[in-house]
Amino acid sequence: MNSLAPDAFDTSIVSIAPDRVKLDIQELDFFYGKNRVLKGVSLGVARNAVTALIGPSGCGKSTLLRSLNRMYALYPGQRATGRILFDGEDILKAGTDLSMLRAKIGMVFQKPTPFPMSIHDNVAFGVRLYESLRKAEMADRVEDALRRAALWDEVKDQLHASGLGLSGGQQQRLCVARCIAVKPEVLLLDEPTSALDPISSAKLEETVTQLKADYTIVIVTHNLGQAARLSDHTGFMYLGELVEFGETAGMFTKPVTSRASDYITGRFG
Amino acid sequence: MAVSSARIAGRRVGNAVFVGACVLVTVLALAALAAILWSLASQGVGGLNLAVFTKSTPAPGSPGGLANAIVGSIMLGLLAMAIAVVIGILAGTWLAEYAGDSRYGSAVRFLNDVLLSAPSILVGLFVYEILVAPFGGFSGLAGGVALALLAAPVITRTTEDVLKLQATALREAGVALGTPVWRVIGKILWRSGASGIITGALLAFARISGETAPLLFTALNNQFFSLDMTKPMANLPVVIFQFALSAYDDWRRLAWAGALIIAVSVLGVTIIARILSQEQKRS
Repeated sequence: MNSLAPDAFDTSIVSIAPDRVKLDIQELDFFYGKNRVLKGVSLGVARNAVTALIGPSGCGKSTLLRSLNRMYALYPGQRATGRILFDGEDILKAGTDLSMLRAKIGMVFQKPTPFPMSIHDNVAFGVRLYESLRKAEMADRVEDALRRAALWDEVKDQLHASGLGLSGGQQQRLCVARCIAVKPEVLLLDEPTSALDPISSAKLEETVTQLKADYTIVIVTHNLGQAARLSDHTGFMYLGELVEFGETAGMFTKPVTSRASDYITGRFG
Repeated sequence: MAVSSARIAGRRVGNAVFVGACVLVTVLALAALAAILWSLASQGVGGLNLAVFTKSTPAPGSPGGLANAIVGSIMLGLLAMAIAVVIGILAGTWLAEYAGDSRYGSAVRFLNDVLLSAPSILVGLFVYEILVAPFGGFSGLAGGVALALLAAPVITRTTEDVLKLQATALREAGVALGTPVWRVIGKILWRSGASGIITGALLAFARISGETAPLLFTALNNQFFSLDMTKPMANLPVVIFQFALSAYDDWRRLAWAGALIIAVSVLGVTIIARILSQEQKRS
């Protein structure tokens, strides 16, 4: 490792115009019990763009993602301090309606998680929580979500078959459809292709690219190629710190810090 | 070769002795089971006829059947299961989803395990003290409650186990859509664990269907056909107990027939539980 290269990087110099910031993460610390796993992370997530989080296993990127919809609140002993402004509103403050928050900030997980019900009902599940649509409107909503997730053509004739019967890649796109049917503003993707074969991964990536126009997307990935292909901004994390953050093109061609450079060139991680 | 041939020969002998012992014990256990089933079938089938299902328990020497006891057993079983399923599923859900490792949760879990293996005669006495003695009479209701107390811990335990087996990812996926936790449980987790929970309920039903001791203190018996749950109620186990110990041949024949009916019903329920749990594994 080149010891002359700066190890720390002032993330604030990457400027995203204030009116383009959808999520503004400020000095975020995260604790599992007494164990501090995120250390003063600050970054802005740009509207209608894809932000990728990369870094070796255990660096805190999934923890950061799970802070953004407060998924961690399910577990006693996990807590976050600092501020996460979502359109200017701090979602970490007490009294935040978590169900409403999660309806606005959707999440897709590493492993496909279809619910034990039909394909149609999987997609309609979240919608039914917040809206009472007539049957025809619901059918339209389901179709729209499945089309956006690039799954419609494969399942349009079996909407009432169980979601568990689909292939892994189809199940994952079903989960994306289920998520966007609720009309969230932000999509969080936690290593969405790591359990998929290359062809299914490619389809899912295509889906993500198309969704960018309407959603703000944050993706955690181990696949550097995927980060480079999909994202507009990339954050490199290491040991709970955001080491470097910037435009994806710049990050992958001229990383500033030696750690990011070593990781991207495959010297560690 | 570092191992001497004498040692290898010794191991072979040891192995043969051990396997032989295992086979022998298995054969003994299965032989006992086969003997029980054989005597049950051979003696029970002889007593089976249409009257068994249509006529009530007779006085010694007169013709009759088990209709009142069969219907009574079904009613007691249904009442017990209605109570036990509600308590068991809710308690199991609480233990799996809300209690965590809290002290109260651990205490409830421990006490449930104790209840799981509590002697059924104690449960009978308990219900006698709270539902029979104060109200001045044996009743079908008290019998149903006693059986429910035996079934509920089984259902609580299986529900907790089944819910804990559900992937964390499924739970989080539900919550991530903005679903309140209680709805995730009701709409997703119960559904995906349904066959396991049903299996637990059927096993609980199998357990209580032959229980005699708790019914002696509660439902007692009724030699007439009765659907009134506030009165003593006939049921197969107590009728078998009474008739089998009697000196009358026709009563003893009916006792065998009743025993066969219970055994076949439990077998049927167990087979259904097996099929359901296999489906659970496949999905």
